[in-house]
Amino acid sequence: MTKLISIHSFRGGTGKSNTTANLAVMIAKTGRRVAIIDTDIQSPGVHVLFSLDPSRVTYTLNDYLWSKCKIEEAAYDVTDSVVGNADESGRTRLFLVPSAIDTGAIAKILREGYDVGMLNDGLHELADRLKLDVLLIDTHPGVNEETLLSIAISDLLLLIMRPDNQDFQGTAVTAELARRLDVKKMLLMVNKVPPSMDREALRQKVEDLYGVEVAGILPLNEEIVNVASGAIFTNRYPQHPFTRCLVQVVDRVLQCLA
Amino acid sequence: MSKADSSDLDALVNKMKSAASPLRTVLRELYDKYLPLRDGKVADYIPELAKADPGSFGITVVTKDGQVFSAGDVKQQFTIQSISKPFVFGLALEMHGRDYVLSKVGVEPTGEAFNAIVLDETSNRPFNPMVNSGAVATADLIEGKDFPERVSRLIAMFSRYCGRPVYVDNTVFMSERATGHRNRAIGHLMLNFGMVRDRIEESLELYFQQCSMMVNCHDLAVMGATLANGGVNPVTGERALEQQYVKYLLSIMLSCGMYDYAGEWAYRVGIPSKSGVAGGIVAVVPGVAGIGIYSPPLDAKGNSVRGIKVFEELSERFGLHAFETGFTGPSFLDQFKPARTS
Repeated sequence: MTKLISIHSFRGGTGKSNTTANLAVMIAKTGRRVAIIDTDIQSPGVHVLFSLDPSRVTYTLNDYLWSKCKIEEAAYDVTDSVVGNADESGRTRLFLVPSAIDTGAIAKILREGYDVGMLNDGLHELADRLKLDVLLIDTHPGVNEETLLSIAISDLLLLIMRPDNQDFQGTAVTAELARRLDVKKMLLMVNKVPPSMDREALRQKVEDLYGVEVAGILPLNEEIVNVASGAIFTNRYPQHPFTRCLVQVVDRVLQCLA
Repeated sequence: MSKADSSDLDALVNKMKSAASPLRTVLRELYDKYLPLRDGKVADYIPELAKADPGSFGITVVTKDGQVFSAGDVKQQFTIQSISKPFVFGLALEMHGRDYVLSKVGVEPTGEAFNAIVLDETSNRPFNPMVNSGAVATADLIEGKDFPERVSRLIAMFSRYCGRPVYVDNTVFMSERATGHRNRAIGHLMLNFGMVRDRIEESLELYFQQCSMMVNCHDLAVMGATLANGGVNPVTGERALEQQYVKYLLSIMLSCGMYDYAGEWAYRVGIPSKSGVAGGIVAVVPGVAGIGIYSPPLDAKGNSVRGIKVFEELSERFGLHAFETGFTGPSFLDQFKPARTS
């Protein structure tokens, strides 16, 4: 059975899409069939990290929601460009389902809306038809229907926040909603943590505040900013402290799903 | 958080749970399975009913927590007809109490047709409030200082059950009144025996009004959910019926709700229900949910053909029969929760 992971942050700029892309690549490298779906239909972005050639993109999630295609027709195999031949089993695959990036398509879906139940069907159909082990759902920051639906159906919710007051408050809102939706398992990641900050104290504070396990505290650093949104960071800097932290997160995530 | 914010949040959380839950798929499968069914005939004793589209079909389930699941034409309006009967009976109970109402209308199932001109030979009472004679006698028990007040009390009651303002379709009302000779005969027979008051003409008008109330399939499910929830509308939080009377409505719906198919219904399906000649059925799974179905083609007994099929399958699949024990199949309650892969 496919495991569903929603990745969410209350506010933008937490590095959510970047983290999602890196996690997906790292999970795929463990010999799993993985897909990322970008449900951030209002401000899609994860496709950039995979350098997906726009001319290759015939259909997007929007087309599925408008009943123009099957969900798997909006899935693009990006294994060769970002994962390579990571394992011998040949099982490893990474797919990406992007949202439309043209202004007209975004405006249309915001104006007309869509049936959120159809998104639910699409996520399950995608999992089935691509025989996925793990489906990562990249969500829109804040609270909206796509996000709540994703949380409602996920096996694991991964919340990403920065160590500032606005994120502290916002994350409380999301954690509360997730509990209302009977989320099965929640993990927190604190990203962009300045080197001066006491990481253990931060971990303790966050865990006490939300009653949610912190799976990783990721450092703020220059290289990420330079690479960010252009490529998969962990591929380029396999020994970087950020990468090493993410490895731990992946381990914990896979444990939670086992 | 303010109360309004909190109920908005509940509604949003419920919507997401519904969208992510297996019941959504179950209802769509039932819709697809029974839509091609072409049996039955749309009622045509008045022109307004004959105009109904035989292909129209909707199913809605509303849980006692206010979660909503739908498939098909759930917003198509139709007249409530006989489905009004148990609800008006509830209002009569609230106005007079159980014993007085029982002195005017019995609670025994009858093998006679719903429009039979027959009363209990010893007590002169109509057999039960679900046959026309009993419903007219029940309408006679609805009090108010004048006719408009009696009508507005009925409308207010239905509006509380539906959670929105409902109205009477005047064309249907005029047709019902113009063709209601048989009901008028029943009314006068009861007047003859002193079972109704001499305002019987007015009470008949009230009865024709109640039958001509416009609802949709979603409304029926909310009405059913209100009974499933002890008389409180789970969507609005407003009470529509005193808790103590809910069980009386449900027991009469189980024994008499499906015209002269009621016995077999209680035996095979076992869910308290009431059907109407426009093609609606309301059903109550006590403590769990209300179910509304609309599909105009009727069988020879006057019940919606697709409606019967859907209820038979729901009852069988999820063990919804009132007397089911030791059921080992899938739980109906589990169908309301998002399915997770592990």
